[in-house]
Amino acid sequence: MRRVAVIGVGVTPFGKHDRSSGELFAEAAAEALADADLSPGAVQALYYGNVVGGEAERQLHMGPQAASILGIPWVPTTRFETACATSHAAFRHAVMEVASGVSDVVLVGGAERVLNLPTDEATEYFAYASDATFEQPAGLTFPGVFALIARALMAKDGTTEEQMAHVAVKNHRHGALNPKAQFRKEITLEEVLASPKIADPLKLYDCCPFTDGGAAVVVVTEELARRSRRPVWVLASAAASDSMCLHDKKDLTRALATERAAQSAYRQAGLASEDVDVVELHDCFTIAEILATEGLGFFEPGAGGIAAEKGWTTLGGKLPVNPSGGLKAKGHPIGATGAAQIAEIVTQLRGEAGLRQVEGARVGLVHTLGGNTATVLVSLFGLE
Amino acid sequence: MITLQTFFEEARAGRLTGIRCQRCAELAIPPKEFCPSCHQRAWELVPLAGHGTISSFTVIRVPPRGRAPEAPYAVAVVRLAEGVSLLGRIVDIPVDELRIGLPVKFRPLVNEDQTVVGFGPA
Repeated sequence: MRRVAVIGVGVTPFGKHDRSSGELFAEAAAEALADADLSPGAVQALYYGNVVGGEAERQLHMGPQAASILGIPWVPTTRFETACATSHAAFRHAVMEVASGVSDVVLVGGAERVLNLPTDEATEYFAYASDATFEQPAGLTFPGVFALIARALMAKDGTTEEQMAHVAVKNHRHGALNPKAQFRKEITLEEVLASPKIADPLKLYDCCPFTDGGAAVVVVTEELARRSRRPVWVLASAAASDSMCLHDKKDLTRALATERAAQSAYRQAGLASEDVDVVELHDCFTIAEILATEGLGFFEPGAGGIAAEKGWTTLGGKLPVNPSGGLKAKGHPIGATGAAQIAEIVTQLRGEAGLRQVEGARVGLVHTLGGNTATVLVSLFGLE
Repeated sequence: MITLQTFFEEARAGRLTGIRCQRCAELAIPPKEFCPSCHQRAWELVPLAGHGTISSFTVIRVPPRGRAPEAPYAVAVVRLAEGVSLLGRIVDIPVDELRIGLPVKFRPLVNEDQTVVGFGPA
């Protein structure tokens, strides 16, 4: 297999946009191509991610739609959907296409537009990523999925609502330093704990927002990367799954797909969790960040909440997690999220993250989770 | 073999049905083609009595479209006495009385053509 690198990244501002998801992707893709110093004509394939466009925009067949808006209607396209892990799954397949020698330049990313919808309608469409036979008919929502996990974890190892609140406070503090974040406002522990309940024990500030936005990255061969000014190498890209229904999972308090994907990624890269300097991980809900820091091997089971409380995961801490502000503060346009997380880690490893820079970061990890913890992607990036 | 349709037709009549692998004894909620533990295809139907305890629960306060009149409502993962878990809607138990370990009993919730798994007081 050939070595693969990322040489260009682009992200739209996250928040409310009055443009279609295809237009948002095109803006991000234009930024990524300019960053890579490549013309659109150099792109040999587009791997595109979008989740609820069929419902929210009445648009299927989104690959050619995105390519057409971008102005490269002739490239082969494939649309990916693995719930919130969508564009990270697309990235893994783009890496495989370049590594295998099929293409030299693949554009990958995604976009989502949902803020034009009422909250209850968007809540319904997001719930389609849970099981349609048991979970949706019972009225389960996505905050509900993670609330069930949170309560099980609280009962098992003493994780507290206050520890979860620390994750929100930290990610808002980071997001305030990110010019493209949806929320650039610090919040206090008291505000999180006093915010309205969404799905007990999760409160408003435990939950990421609905977001419009797009993100794109350019994946190329080693030969092209050597000619680029500041390539970031893909050291590993791994995927794992777990049972779809919550009631089929053997243990609600373990993120088995995260554990499996992480082990596979560390093995591919010949690295261990201790080698990671900076992390972008899937904090769709504060409990998800706590669970992920344990599943990725950074902290022992049960210690993820303590790590949040002690500030180990803050900028300047022993392992900065979500310097971008994470899904919580940067925002979560679900089809774009994986590519946006990758863009942040590439920016960090290049040393171009400005006020939110993790000094001296040489190895970065991206973790993206889809649906009710049933899909997980983990990729590792490095400067060598 | 039991399909989703027959599972919910039975559930509508008040009967819960699980499947047990005749090779490794894995007990599961249908539908499953192969046993996820041993990959055999030797299921037998097992009636489930519907008694269990709550292993986790949440109170949904921001519901999806069309469910506002029902909110707030509780959803729980219930560990059935036979040793398999099932997710369903909590009914007739005040939300402030819910706790992990609370005994509950299955009951079908029938809404026009849809049957939903429900759990009420034991």
